[in-house]
Amino acid sequence: MILKTAWKNVWRNKVRSMVVIISVTIGIFGGVFAVAVMNGAIDQRVDASLNNEISHIQINREDFRQNQGLKMTLDQPGKFRANLLDKEGVNGVAKRLITQGMANTANKSTGVQINGVDPVEEKNVLRLHEKIIPGTGGYFEKESRYNLAVIGETLAKELNIIRYIIDEEMLDSLHNREVPDDLLAKLKPLTGTRFRSEDGFEEKIQEILTKQEVSSYGRILSEEAWSFRERSKLTLTFLDVNNYQTGAMFRVAGIFDVKNNMFEESQVFVDIDDLQRLTGLPDGAAHQLIVRLDNREETKPVAEQIKQMAPGLEVMHWKEIQPDLAMMTDLVQNFYAAFMIIILAALAFGIVNTMLMVVLERTKELGMLTAIGMNKKRVFRMIMLESVFLSIIGGIVGMIVSKIVIMLTSNQGINFYSYSEGFEAMGFSAHIYPSISNTFFIVVTILIIITGILSSIYPALKALKLDPADALRTE
Amino acid sequence: MKILEIKNVHKIYNSTHIQVHAVNGVSVDFKEGEFAAIVGPSGSGKTTLLNMIGGLDKPTEGKIMIARTDPAQLKSSELIDFRLNNIGFVFQSYNLIPVLTARENVEFIMNLQKWPKNKRFKRTKEMLEAVGLGDRLDSKPAQLSGGQQQRIAVARALASKPKFVLADEPTANLDSKSTETLLDIMEELNRNEKITFIFSTHDTRVVKKARRVVTLEDGKVISDERK
Repeated sequence: MILKTAWKNVWRNKVRSMVVIISVTIGIFGGVFAVAVMNGAIDQRVDASLNNEISHIQINREDFRQNQGLKMTLDQPGKFRANLLDKEGVNGVAKRLITQGMANTANKSTGVQINGVDPVEEKNVLRLHEKIIPGTGGYFEKESRYNLAVIGETLAKELNIIRYIIDEEMLDSLHNREVPDDLLAKLKPLTGTRFRSEDGFEEKIQEILTKQEVSSYGRILSEEAWSFRERSKLTLTFLDVNNYQTGAMFRVAGIFDVKNNMFEESQVFVDIDDLQRLTGLPDGAAHQLIVRLDNREETKPVAEQIKQMAPGLEVMHWKEIQPDLAMMTDLVQNFYAAFMIIILAALAFGIVNTMLMVVLERTKELGMLTAIGMNKKRVFRMIMLESVFLSIIGGIVGMIVSKIVIMLTSNQGINFYSYSEGFEAMGFSAHIYPSISNTFFIVVTILIIITGILSSIYPALKALKLDPADALRTE
Repeated sequence: MKILEIKNVHKIYNSTHIQVHAVNGVSVDFKEGEFAAIVGPSGSGKTTLLNMIGGLDKPTEGKIMIARTDPAQLKSSELIDFRLNNIGFVFQSYNLIPVLTARENVEFIMNLQKWPKNKRFKRTKEMLEAVGLGDRLDSKPAQLSGGQQQRIAVARALASKPKFVLADEPTANLDSKSTETLLDIMEELNRNEKITFIFSTHDTRVVKKARRVVTLEDGKVISDERK
């Protein structure tokens, strides 16, 4: 009876209840969706890191990570790799040679880590081969008489392995981006012109366009005109096994884009055989084995088992390799909870306010109920249920709306294109696919019920303090 | 058998500047099955006395015994339970629960008393038929006239078979036809159900119907007349 009366009381003032329910709905949706976007971004970051950069487990000699000595190779890496591949839960293993060096082009040079990889093995562990920017080549696919290197987009830009072309395609793109026709007419005579550097392109643009046009459209022109130079030359220099400076000319086989500027800037991939030959290491040498597992959640136990198999070797799982990433994934869980609690606390004040109005408006009725024998426990329960109903209806609608919007956006993703530079500088993709776990939904549901109960306490206590004789005299 | 004993009851309200002696030494008893009216002009202490009888207020001095129990001695929660099981209330402004139907309003007290469902349904129907609203079971208070609402309030007060019913100015908001109908119904229920009715009123129509009239003035009983 109390339950039924409380439910009917919720709909006594439909407009007011709907206002509260809608505000709870919007609050819950805002919170859950914001968390889904953050969670999606972090999940993508972790996935990208595991799929493109570090894999699940890395195995090397104990002192290798600190000293990076060229001679610190693994004993019988081929045999060890075969043993690991037989292990349950292991999906792929790849050998790597690793050394530090310099990447040089005609006008720039920068420090990089040179990774000698076996392209076939590597494809079973990482997905870097899927991240090659179209039109920039491939992932060691083509046979070549040159040494080949795969580098990141940021490094390619840094080393100026780009060119600027004004062609019909570029002019069409500019037209689609609503660049005025008179500006396009000024560019038309330059159709077919190629610039080897950004400076040359900008100089020409400033020459033919007005200052106003350059300031308004200069960035768009650069974006549409630049492209990577295919099969550019690149010299990599490093030390050989005897500590002599050595190096070789490489052709850029492909340029990868993993939406992580730091990784793109610092990592160069070459064929393991080329690096072995150039450094003078013995055939089949490897510094590191990288391991991909069937299930990310199994990383820690499998890493422990591998440790047992290989005493004396350093076996690190991804959380140890990238503790910042591990900390971020753990920390955000607490952050999500705090974020939702703040939103719910704000909503609770709205509910308290509404319920206080309810108690005030129904003073006479509450007095009557106490007079006819409804005890305090029941009065409290009735007010509490009304408050819980308000929160739960708003909460459930908010959750349903969130679930639908997350489902709709999780396929297509949300593109924060205008912030892509900032996102990629931090290693995040600007194209985010919101995602949320079912556990989070359950936790939020429980929090909503708790909010409803907590926000009913003060108004319910107010109702209990009413003196029935006084309350009955109220008009 | 005495159902209600009021012994030298005083009620003093202390406001900031003055002391109001609302009830001043009232002593009166009521027996089972009485149909009594407490009358008097405004400010004579009728409602205060009724509130004390109903356990909604405590006497400053004196004692009220209801079926050998002194409600003033009960703890707050015990007092609410005592009211639930012993006293039926009818208020001037009906005070039905607007979101509930006539049936649900009548059932409400029986529900609080945890009557079994079928027994509750039977009694509700019986009471609503007794007050002439057997066909309005599912109507909400807003769909009923003032007189009909007050009849439902009477049905609610009597449904759980209390020891007595206190009615504070039950006809004050009703037209004469509704008043007459209500009084006839209450009188009939009083006879059939043997439930004591005590009204506070200054409605002469109620006074005419009452079989006993206790008159108050300035908080004192100035006459106690049985017909």
